[in-house]
Amino acid sequence: MVKFLRIAFHEYTRHVLRRRFIFALLGMPAVIAITGLGIYALIRLEIDDTPIGYVDQSGFLADPVAPPQLGRFEIQVPIYDFINETDARNALEAGEIQAYYTLAGDFMVTGLVDLHYLEREPSESAQEQFESFILANHLVDQSPEIVDRIAEGSDLTVRSVDGSREFSEKDIVALLMPFFNSVLFLIVIFTSSGYLMQAVVEEKENRTIEILVTSVSSNQLIAGKVIGNISVGLTQLIVWIGFTLGALEIGRKYFDFLIDLTLSAETILLTVLTLLPSFIMVAALMTAIGATVTDEREGQQMTGIISMPIWIPYILTWPIMANPNGPLAVALSFFPLTAPITLSLRVAFAIIPTWQIALNVFVLFLAAAVAIWFAGRVFRIGMLRYGKRVNWREMFGLTR
Amino acid sequence: MSTVEINRISKSFGAVKAVDRVSFSVEKGEIFGLLGPNGAGKTTTIRIILDLFKPDSGEVLVFDGPMTEAKKDRIGYMPEDRGLYQDIQLDRCLIYLGTLKNLSTAEARSRVGDYLERFDLAQHRQKKIKELSKGMQQKAQIIATLLHEPDLVVIDEPFTALDPVNTQMIKDILLDLQNRGITLVMSTHQMHQVEEMCDRIILIDHGRSVLYGDLAEIRKRFSGHAVHVRTMDELPDLAGIKSVQPHNAIHQLNLSPGTSPQEVLQALVDRGIVLEQFEIATPTLDEIFIRVVQANED
Repeated sequence: MVKFLRIAFHEYTRHVLRRRFIFALLGMPAVIAITGLGIYALIRLEIDDTPIGYVDQSGFLADPVAPPQLGRFEIQVPIYDFINETDARNALEAGEIQAYYTLAGDFMVTGLVDLHYLEREPSESAQEQFESFILANHLVDQSPEIVDRIAEGSDLTVRSVDGSREFSEKDIVALLMPFFNSVLFLIVIFTSSGYLMQAVVEEKENRTIEILVTSVSSNQLIAGKVIGNISVGLTQLIVWIGFTLGALEIGRKYFDFLIDLTLSAETILLTVLTLLPSFIMVAALMTAIGATVTDEREGQQMTGIISMPIWIPYILTWPIMANPNGPLAVALSFFPLTAPITLSLRVAFAIIPTWQIALNVFVLFLAAAVAIWFAGRVFRIGMLRYGKRVNWREMFGLTR
Repeated sequence: MSTVEINRISKSFGAVKAVDRVSFSVEKGEIFGLLGPNGAGKTTTIRIILDLFKPDSGEVLVFDGPMTEAKKDRIGYMPEDRGLYQDIQLDRCLIYLGTLKNLSTAEARSRVGDYLERFDLAQHRQKKIKELSKGMQQKAQIIATLLHEPDLVVIDEPFTALDPVNTQMIKDILLDLQNRGITLVMSTHQMHQVEEMCDRIILIDHGRSVLYGDLAEIRKRFSGHAVHVRTMDELPDLAGIKSVQPHNAIHQLNLSPGTSPQEVLQALVDRGIVLEQFEIATPTLDEIFIRVVQANED
């Protein structure tokens, strides 16, 4: 086996078998699952499934159709018919119902409905269920298509005149997916690159680096470490994506807004093409940091130099969203460290010219290559420097 | 053909000249001592030999040519400040380092097993390195250095932190390597070890070579015109003796010019003196080291 592959395999197994990695790997989905279950439990506690009643003085609900069926996770509130308001009032005071509605005698003309309750207003879900019940009875003579159309409402898409921007309120979750993907990806990049930097610092601290560089070239060492690091990140990503897809698949059965949630092939391709070189670039720069610092704490402080520019587009989210093809957004797309997040924001709200995407991707791959080269140079001077950090002038002098 | 050939190498770090026109050669199968006070330039010289540093000037030839990636597999290096992963298991660490010297995983595993048995570390193979004692870590480091059966071993301060039993064991291993034709470059401060083991030495001070050559010849060169005599009898007055310096049970007899040690020995035997020890007085390497370094500073 080629030596750098042995290094990559060693780095990979060394990190993925660590308890803290396994904890982080399974911890994130577990936290999300527990949070989801917690939210669901809170909703369940919030919803009072005590029946609600109504008194129809208009005759509109003389022969009512049943309320629409709800999703599996939603709680159906029974709806009872009362002959007169006295009976309804007695039932309310006896705690048999949580509230009751009265439809006025001229309801069909005025649409007037009163809600009566004692202390606690019925939950939003209970009120929505009664409104759906009224709507269903209004539409009782209509065809199922018309009933569905009215129930779903309209799908409004706002499109700019030049066609470069469009936004559909129905697709808001799908639109933000590339953005969320980037965030997820960057968390993975920083987690695994953090392991890489830590490993280099440890190798310097315990002098293993001297053994390594008398066995392999520094280029092979860096290549092996970066490949191992990317493999660690991909493992993390695959597990998390697998979990997300599984959760989506389950969620689609219960939540309507998840049914239309899909990622286009173009979006996936763009995500891979921008984030893969970003991954290599960050990993190489982390290696360089590891080689230049004297201990892990100093390394953690130095990572801010890389992480801060990467997260700058978040601070500028609003101006980028407001003008996704404006000078600021375009400029940030061409700077390698700000490009990943900027591009994911822009692609959510605008159609980016193809030449720009091609050029952005080219710049990112070029930056990745330069980062590896730079890391190699810095690594060679920093690897045997103990107790004294490589300063910027030395780095600059090296690369000049 | 020399295993290592160093020709007038120099290396500076900023304004500090760490190595200044140093030349020496290391012959196949010998134990070569690289000596010098702290900060003399020994480690920099070793790193230049191993191609970790490029010299500013001069030439380094290893196995008859410049260093290559393939040649690295023929070299075993043990740095002064040890170099093992602290938080992984002993056998896993050694196997990994062996594979980086181009051993297959199976071969590395087999050799590690053998070495751990031989070094009495087999029962600790599953322990993390940081859980081992200093002596055990030193033995593990030696295993990592020798696992791939190198032709050249560069070893920096091999006896640090070892008790007498382990020191003797390491010494035996190094001498065994020499007997098998392996070349050793050993940097150490422990002069008595150098005297016992090294064939030739170089003494570096302030980056410069101040003493270089065959150890026996160097000692002879620094020896005065004197003999050491140990006897229970009273020493008689002898012709050709300039002065007598008693030192514990040994007397140093400083000879007059023209008097040979052989003549003194003959005179003592003729007088019926029972000799327990008679030898030509040569300085210890410690004394030579101090003398040369002080002279260099003056």
